[in-house]
Amino acid sequence: MHERLSFHIKRDSLIHRLNPLTKLALVLALVVVAFTAPWYWTPHILLLLAIIPLSMLGRVFPEFFKTATRLILPAATFLFLMQAFFQPIGEDVIFKFYFLDITQESLMFAFRNAMRVFVMVSTFTLFLLTTHPSELMSDLTRRGLPGQFAYVIISTLQILPQMQAKAQTIIAAQRSRGLDTESTFLKRAGSVLPLVGPLVFGSLVEVEERAIAIEARGFTSKHAKTSLHEIPDLASDKFIRWVLLALVILSIAANLWLS
Amino acid sequence: MKIEITNLHFTYPTGLEALKGISLTIESGEQVAIVGQNGAGKTTLVRHFNGLLQPASGSVLIGDWDTKKTSVAKLASRVGYVFQNPDEQLFSRDVLTEVAFGPRNLGYSKEKIDELVKRALSLTELSNQTETNPYDLSPTWRKMVALASIIAMDTPIVIFDEPTTGQDAVNVARIANVIAELRKEGKTVITITHDIDFCAENFERVIALFKGQVLLDGSAREVLGQEEVLAQTYVDPPQLTRLGKRLGLKETVRNQEEFLKALES
Repeated sequence: MHERLSFHIKRDSLIHRLNPLTKLALVLALVVVAFTAPWYWTPHILLLLAIIPLSMLGRVFPEFFKTATRLILPAATFLFLMQAFFQPIGEDVIFKFYFLDITQESLMFAFRNAMRVFVMVSTFTLFLLTTHPSELMSDLTRRGLPGQFAYVIISTLQILPQMQAKAQTIIAAQRSRGLDTESTFLKRAGSVLPLVGPLVFGSLVEVEERAIAIEARGFTSKHAKTSLHEIPDLASDKFIRWVLLALVILSIAANLWLS
Repeated sequence: MKIEITNLHFTYPTGLEALKGISLTIESGEQVAIVGQNGAGKTTLVRHFNGLLQPASGSVLIGDWDTKKTSVAKLASRVGYVFQNPDEQLFSRDVLTEVAFGPRNLGYSKEKIDELVKRALSLTELSNQTETNPYDLSPTWRKMVALASIIAMDTPIVIFDEPTTGQDAVNVARIANVIAELRKEGKTVITITHDIDFCAENFERVIALFKGQVLLDGSAREVLGQEEVLAQTYVDPPQLTRLGKRLGLKETVRNQEEFLKALES
């Protein structure tokens, strides 16, 4: 019943089938290139020629577009406005608003920074849309990430929706006992204890049970562990990762060379 | 108090159509068991009785109150609902305060609260545990505290959601005893259960739900006799009932007493 707290959309596509580490490398490479490449239009071109086509290739374009326009665009716009107004560079004032000057330089600067942030957040969104969190974590654990770390991430994603569902049941149970959760503020403030008590207590009990359950399956065992799910890591994955590494190095080199 | 359900439909936000046109009348003082496979709509149905869920269409009347126009807190004075998991409702430091919480919410006088709490505690055999923290009790007894906390509200209708799950024979007998006492007081008792023996031994009327609709509704004898129909919703009649059928007994038997009687005749 309980949904995981994740963006992941289960579909079959070239991107979904990539090894999680390859996808993570792709995200990091795109971000590094967007921030270090010395050419002004790099982030814009990346968005148009890499990220959007990739989202189509991953068959998640509608969801990607929705997140990008509703979530990332407003944040990037805000960033753009702040930087455009408050960046004290350039002489050529093209717009005045009380004491705030907008120069062509500050406008250009702000636009690029907003685009960089847009690229960063949108590639991560693409990554989250096409990668199941537990797949990523089991792949990383296999490569040597401590199990405890993976557990913290995964259990947080799992526990939040569960606690939400639990809270709903508790509220229902107490309302059935005549607890007024709908009327005046004072009455509602008084009704906090009957709701929080069982929630906190129940969650503590669950944490303990969870700990016992995973320990019973040898969580802290020092032996090498096998995995139920084989996560494929093909030669093509390795090839893509090398290409991405080369791109990152080139981009950083170009940055140092040309500036 | 009479419960009248007319053409009740309900769909969860996820799009799951849980109830597909249920019409039922439950008379004052009836003892009703609701059975059916998981997902048949049992809990969804009873959550309409105290307004926790609102009908998508159709109506639920509790006496003269329409649940659509009455708050849950107000309906709590007519319908008591014991949730499946006691840990989802217990929060007080001691049993006494816990059991008094419901009646206090309903605004009864102090004397009446004392009296109701005392009676509920003695019914559930918790009278000498009033000072105990509910969480120091075993899960079995926590369940009894949850029962007591609803009984103390003295509602004309009491709903139990799977009261016997995870309980041993002794405690099942205790719960059966509570239900028998409530019946003597003329209260309506509605119980969701997967425990078909418990259902056969304690309830006169049985309603079998199947995919959001009423599959069978009638006396326990009538309903439990229809093995093939019940199989649709994965309910097996009690072993004795089935044995009686195989032996070719004329009447449907529900318990040992009836079985032996039918065997002799």
